[in-house]
Amino acid sequence: MTKELLRFHTVTKTFVSGQSQLVILEDLDFVLYSGTSVAITGKSGSGKSTLLNIAGGLDKPSAGSVSFLGRELGALNDKDLSAFRNRHIGFVFQSHILLDDFTALENVCVPALIRGARQADAVKRAKELLDRVGLSDRLQHRPQKLSGGERQRVAICRALVNAPDLIIADEPTGSLDEESSSGIETLLTDIVREEGKTLLMVTHDTQLASRCSTVYLLHNRTLQEME
Amino acid sequence: MTMRFSMWLSGRLLVPKGESKYARLRLVRSAALIAIVMIPLVLALIFMDGMMNGITDKYILLQDGHIQLHVEDPLFDSQYDVSAIDPRLESADYVVSGYGIVYSRDTTAEVRIKGVDISYFNENRMTQLEFTGEPLKKEGSLAAVMLSTTIAQKLGVEVGQRVAFMVVPDSSSSVVRPVLANVTALYDSGYHELDSSLLFMNRDDAMRYFPKDRNAYTELLVSRDHVDDLGAIVATLESAMDKNFPYATWDEFNGTVYQNFITSRQVILLVFMMILLVAGVYVSSIAQEMIQDSMQSIALFKTLGATNSNLSWAYFCSVMVVTSIGLVAGVSLGLLIGSQIGVLLHWLGNSGLAGLQYYLLDFRIVISWRDILAISFSMLVISSVTVRLSLGRIRRISPLEMLQQD
Ligand SMILES: Nc1ncnc2c1ncn2[C@@H]1O[C@H](COP(=O)(O)OP(=O)(O)OP(=O)(O)O)[C@@H](O)[C@H]1O
Ligand SMILES: [Mg+2]
Repeated sequence: MTKELLRFHTVTKTFVSGQSQLVILEDLDFVLYSGTSVAITGKSGSGKSTLLNIAGGLDKPSAGSVSFLGRELGALNDKDLSAFRNRHIGFVFQSHILLDDFTALENVCVPALIRGARQADAVKRAKELLDRVGLSDRLQHRPQKLSGGERQRVAICRALVNAPDLIIADEPTGSLDEESSSGIETLLTDIVREEGKTLLMVTHDTQLASRCSTVYLLHNRTLQEME
Repeated sequence: MTMRFSMWLSGRLLVPKGESKYARLRLVRSAALIAIVMIPLVLALIFMDGMMNGITDKYILLQDGHIQLHVEDPLFDSQYDVSAIDPRLESADYVVSGYGIVYSRDTTAEVRIKGVDISYFNENRMTQLEFTGEPLKKEGSLAAVMLSTTIAQKLGVEVGQRVAFMVVPDSSSSVVRPVLANVTALYDSGYHELDSSLLFMNRDDAMRYFPKDRNAYTELLVSRDHVDDLGAIVATLESAMDKNFPYATWDEFNGTVYQNFITSRQVILLVFMMILLVAGVYVSSIAQEMIQDSMQSIALFKTLGATNSNLSWAYFCSVMVVTSIGLVAGVSLGLLIGSQIGVLLHWLGNSGLAGLQYYLLDFRIVISWRDILAISFSMLVISSVTVRLSLGRIRRISPLEMLQQD
């Protein structure tokens, strides 16, 4: 019944900087099932963001392969990979996440417009989402005029606007104070559950991790499931 | 389908809201600069075309006509309406002409002497000159002449005074002797180059000095719309009068003048193209600046699934819209100022600037739409090429760049 959404097959990622070679991920096998929420923790610099970037089609593994709904991501060209990200993945990052010159509403609309939605439809969907996260009176605000927590809520709406299969969140509460971060945690996990989406998230926050169905530790270049 | 996003983004780039005052200012400044490049180009074009047409008109109407039929006797009397033979014809005048030297006490002037009837100065020709005095009016037995004010000034003579002239003979057998003439009028065509070498004489007098078998001809003017049908017009005349005429057309006489015009025009258009190239480079720098300022946003758009072509189109369209606005504004302003060029030239003429006497300062405004369109079109083509080239930068922005900058 649980469908396989994302699979890492012996993924290795090395960064070459000058003479030295840095192995970040090595022979990593990992399966993400549809409808689950997975948290990844690990030391700083252990390669968590690198793993998410590969999962979201932003980066490519040095060896091994990644498949999404049975489709090999390595086989996609630039254009198809862009379309894949647009339709199947919703990103929520720690910071630098919104377009500064655009309103909250426009920020949420962008992925839908890229998909080719009509502007009226995109706006309608974006308004629904913003309403749901309690920002219906902030539609025309620019990111600079929003609090950190509000910005993150806008980012969550943007990640959901195209109803993607997978939400990838990289330390979504990393730059927030305790109070707003607990709000975002609940929101993110609840909304993902309600919409029946899959969540792949990096977090140092044990509280947030505990809301997920599975928690992994990224250690020694590979993932270990925690009880 | 994804064109929708490009169009939306392009619109947003063109109407930057909120904090991006600088971006807005940059768009206005860019459009203004393009307009400032276009204004002088349009003005130069209007000036050049107006002056060339004006000068050509003067040579045709006062010096050579459109067609010269080399027949020694008059074909029509001066009252005859030639448009009855061919509606494309406007007038026909019997002319006797040759070369001579005019003397005053102090100096001389070499001139072309044109013997014409007073009817020669018809409505058409009167648009090209002004005169004072009574042209070619006979008093006594002396020849009546009309000098240009330019020659009169040079010789230091006025209306009512006399000048001596000597005909330059066609063959060595002729006897050369100076004769006197009455200056009955002075004319001014507004074009110094023409005035300084053209003298009108009463035709009856001219016939005494120039043998009509070599120097007489009939000068035809045709309407403006038919200056390219000269051969056909002669053919109609020949069949109507059942005769063959040896003839010459105006461009054969003023071949060098005409050719010079065409060459200068080509050179000027070439210079325009180089200016447009520089403008194109400027336009591409607008695109570069816009991209430079929004590297972060471009990386984020890419993360969210925008393709290189989506983004390139968006930036391309905004830059081209700015260019087009500047272009339209520049051309319109250029045309507006150009239509007032007469005022400008009049003022320049009165300023006493040296060298202006070689230019025609009073001419009909000619707007060559074809050239203005060609210049505008070239501007758009050149800019679109340079902008496209500078948009390659978008391709090199990786979506990861946004995540790495903390
Ligand atoms: N483009 C790159 N080129 C070279 N090295 C890189 C690159 N990206 C990441 N790295 C290195 O890979 C390692 C893992 O980086 P990554 O960002 O995945 O760590 P992380 O687990 O997300 O850390 P943090 O918890 O601090 O965000 C780091 O040592 C980093 O310096
Ligand atoms: Mg990280």
